[in-house]
Amino acid sequence: QHKQVTGVSSQGCQGGCQTCSVYNGCLTCKPKLFIHLERDGMRQFGVCLASCPNGFYGTRSPDRNDCIKCGSECDSCFNRNFCLRCRAGSYLHKGKCTESCPDGLVPSDTMKECV
Amino acid sequence: AMIKVSLLKQEPTSRPITLEGVFAGGSAGYAEGKLMQSHPLSLCNTSEDDRQETFFISIVKLESPESKVPQCLPLLDKARLALQRGAQAVIFDITDDPGAAQELRDSGLLPRPVVLVKSSDAEQLMGLVNKNEEAKVFIDIMMETQKWPHYDVGI
Repeated sequence: QHKQVTGVSSQGCQGGCQTCSVYNGCLTCKPKLFIHLERDGMRQFGVCLASCPNGFYGTRSPDRNDCIKCGSECDSCFNRNFCLRCRAGSYLHKGKCTESCPDGLVPSDTMKECV
Repeated sequence: AMIKVSLLKQEPTSRPITLEGVFAGGSAGYAEGKLMQSHPLSLCNTSEDDRQETFFISIVKLESPESKVPQCLPLLDKARLALQRGAQAVIFDITDDPGAAQELRDSGLLPRPVVLVKSSDAEQLMGLVNKNEEAKVFIDIMMETQKWPHYDVGI
């Protein structure tokens, strides 16, 4: 789903990193790439991606591009307030995930939407 | 500060590792929890770290100013943010960021301990993290051994 820029640069960083360190992984990314903080057990380290993974959305700012987590019930989102696909047990209605649908609509488990 | 570290997957008889650090400002106190690394960029207002279920202690490896990691928040606010997210304490490895100690020196009241470590003490902690060796950390105030235990007046 996300295009990970692989390979290792001269500085020993993951391909997309601008700067990195042994313990923190990527610290800054090359232009246009997003920094995503991955957790592996105790460790949390930065990786640089062309697009953010499922459950995260990308934000761009002058000094860095971040992957930010979607809302708690959301599997894939456009931004913090606009979900595109909900997790099991929730139904999408007007960009929000709800446990029940408003009057006149019924929950569709296959589409995870109020229809 | 005294930091005792015991590996979760080790012989019950093996002794914990004892390390030293310095409490930031007025944050001296006791804390215990599972050691969990936080990337410096995870402690920014925009980011949100994944909630841990267990009691955990965050360790943050601060990078040298030359590595140009966006600061996003002052160190004291980063410490407060980590504590707000449920960390029982925060450990900053300041080996590569000597200015951090100055920045955190008069940090006034903090709800739970914030400890600065460096050099070999920091290296041992970060070594555990890097090898993903699950460890439980106990932080406490180090008792100064009294030079004159039998006397209460020295000349």
